[in-house]
Amino acid sequence: MIAGAALAGLGVAAARRRAIPPDRRRGLDLAAVGRTIGRVRLQRGIATLQLIARGGARYAGSAPRLFAAAGEQRQQLRQDLALETAEDVAQTLGAMKGVLMKIGQMASYVDEGLAPSVRRTLSRLQDSVPPMSAELAAGMVEQELGMPPDRLFAEWDPEPIAAASIGQVHRAITRDGRAVAVKVQYPGIAEAIAADLQNVALLRRMLRITAPAQDVDALLDELRERVLEELDYRREAANQSLFAEFYDGHPTIRIPRVIGELSTRRLVTSELAVGSRFAELAELSQHERDIAAETIYRFVFRSLYELHAFNGDPHPGNYLFHGGGEVTFLDFGLVKHFTNDELYPLMQMARNLCVRQDPEEFRRSMEVAGFLVPGAPLSTDAVVEHLAVFYATIREPGPVTIKPDYSSAVVRRFFDVRSPVAEYVSIPRSYVILQRINLGLFAVLGELSATRDWRSIAEEIWPFVQGPPSTPIGEAERAWLAGRPASAEWSQPATGGRT
Amino acid sequence: MTASQDVTGLVERSAAAYSRGVPEHPADDGFFGPASVTWRSAGDLSAPVAGLRALMLQALHPLAMAGVDQHSDWREDPVGRLAATSSYLATVSFGERAAAQRVAERVRRIHTRVTGVDGVTGKPYAAGDPALLLWVHVALVDSSLAARSLFGVPPSPADADRYVAEMTVAAELVGVPRDMVPASVPQLAGYIECVKPELACTPAASESMAFLLEPPGLDDDIAEIWQDIRDGAVGSLPQWAAEMYGYEREPLTAARCTEIRQALGVLDAVFLGEPGVLEARQRIAARVRAAQRA
Repeated sequence: MIAGAALAGLGVAAARRRAIPPDRRRGLDLAAVGRTIGRVRLQRGIATLQLIARGGARYAGSAPRLFAAAGEQRQQLRQDLALETAEDVAQTLGAMKGVLMKIGQMASYVDEGLAPSVRRTLSRLQDSVPPMSAELAAGMVEQELGMPPDRLFAEWDPEPIAAASIGQVHRAITRDGRAVAVKVQYPGIAEAIAADLQNVALLRRMLRITAPAQDVDALLDELRERVLEELDYRREAANQSLFAEFYDGHPTIRIPRVIGELSTRRLVTSELAVGSRFAELAELSQHERDIAAETIYRFVFRSLYELHAFNGDPHPGNYLFHGGGEVTFLDFGLVKHFTNDELYPLMQMARNLCVRQDPEEFRRSMEVAGFLVPGAPLSTDAVVEHLAVFYATIREPGPVTIKPDYSSAVVRRFFDVRSPVAEYVSIPRSYVILQRINLGLFAVLGELSATRDWRSIAEEIWPFVQGPPSTPIGEAERAWLAGRPASAEWSQPATGGRT
Repeated sequence: MTASQDVTGLVERSAAAYSRGVPEHPADDGFFGPASVTWRSAGDLSAPVAGLRALMLQALHPLAMAGVDQHSDWREDPVGRLAATSSYLATVSFGERAAAQRVAERVRRIHTRVTGVDGVTGKPYAAGDPALLLWVHVALVDSSLAARSLFGVPPSPADADRYVAEMTVAAELVGVPRDMVPASVPQLAGYIECVKPELACTPAASESMAFLLEPPGLDDDIAEIWQDIRDGAVGSLPQWAAEMYGYEREPLTAARCTEIRQALGVLDAVFLGEPGVLEARQRIAARVRAAQRA
């Protein structure tokens, strides 16, 4: 019965889709379309599927959420309903649900087109996952590390301190006295998700139904790869170690070190970081918020240009703040690595638009990167007008405030179907995640209403400028940089870039 | 109105009914209670397949089908019909005894008005006839077990027997004398064997099921997802029932079962996203857990 309803609901979605000329499908405003057709009403069932396919809650993502935040009564309920066996895990997160959560989370960072009810739905799917019981978590530790946690560690806190989407985090003290955070994966979840990801046909159908304007195959391939990677905590540990090593000694960027001998495919142990949560920043001065934002910005773009890696989860739960601009970065489960060929065109785009101020060259680099169909019948002015919004914060030097609505304005602009440019732009596969996460980053900076001279900070980081320090953090960074080996060499790819 | 628009909102209405059917501060445990198999298997993914399969079996009884065909407005308002059924089942399964008795009483009252003559067999029928009510009951119980075994959490043989026994009360509530109602899996199978000679695929059954199995106006992508559910229901039918309908069936391989289970998981996630559903499930689960600990 329920099935019939849900599918019929989908039918309505499809009916809408048919009713809209193909060239108008981009960035569907379901509510408006519903009104236009005048015979369908927006319903949560559809919205949910849209959510599941495209993601919903910007901040409803995976990353550590404090159980306590749910309120005492709810916390008690969650504990009463704790997952006690691997079968419980399979029932709660098997049969596509874990996959939907992961894909929703990843695809979710920015989509202001989604109704609040849709965002609630994703968080409800996550709410439906209780923590593991102390016994189940201890069993998982023993399975992975060969010893129950109360013997393995000097101290082990059986109460989890945070939830991850497919695991949970426990505090412990190692035998040599280090305070650590141990992220323990739910038993069997990796296998269940990997199996469900094989049903490409179903995933593709859902994406096609809910995001007809997107290049569904590219999006799906990318999402599948990233989700599969995230299941293997060894990859996360390796990524975290890469970042921790690179930023060792940095004046404001902190990365907890991974304890390799206490980490496996399903469990990762790292130094325990203590600091203020994102929500607590509201109590701090705007200056503190500004310099915290500066550190996040420096971290993201220096990682991109020098490590060729993007830590893909700009979720507010993934930062801890220590004052004075110091920020700890948590959760390296979603890291996207780029090749030189993939990054070079991006660099050229910024360089041509912002530094050389050469619109024709900017357009050419967009084409080379695959963002813009070559030879589109558009004036270069129109192209710049449409796409320069991405560069609004760095086109000119001087202080710029990133407002809370900046990120969504970029999205609206990019997917504006009325723009004549819209039908000639697309996001190539290897940039899908980058694009979404980039916007997620700006959503976070916008939440902080951060004001900085972003252009001058960017110039410090851009390999093609290598500008002088422009802020106190920049000054402090210079000393750190001086003690480091030279950064990656940049050369133009032989092919002229990725096409 | 097309089928798709007709059923718009069925998720919402079923969810609301489900959530209402599970009381927050119940005066009693109802007719099943937290130790029952019925409660332990609440929220099983396979429910939509079970529901569809039950309808297919029920429709094979010419007199039951005639009653629906001649009296029900389900074609005008299939959503309302299905939502009412969901609501009824939720209240009987999880509601307080008084609430369950109240809704059952209402159904019995409505049934007194549903009488007539089946045009195919020429036989008179009455919806209150225990024999018809029992077939409807048995079809649901059998379908629930079959769907769970294939696509949900398979019950142990002991739990399957217990479930059949527990469900006898549901038949009693609508007016079937207790001693008529199968109370174990073998009795259930025996009863189905007994009724089989009376079953047939009448034009009304054939046409109604065609409508349910291939709702008109579905987009290709949705039709493909619907096909998973439909294949689950058709594939899990007994061979004789599939033959009566004349369905050609692909064998339900393990791989196909997995795909169907995955489609059911998506639907369940959609259902879970509706207001109140998660809380209702948690209310049931918390009481089941408490009973297990006690």
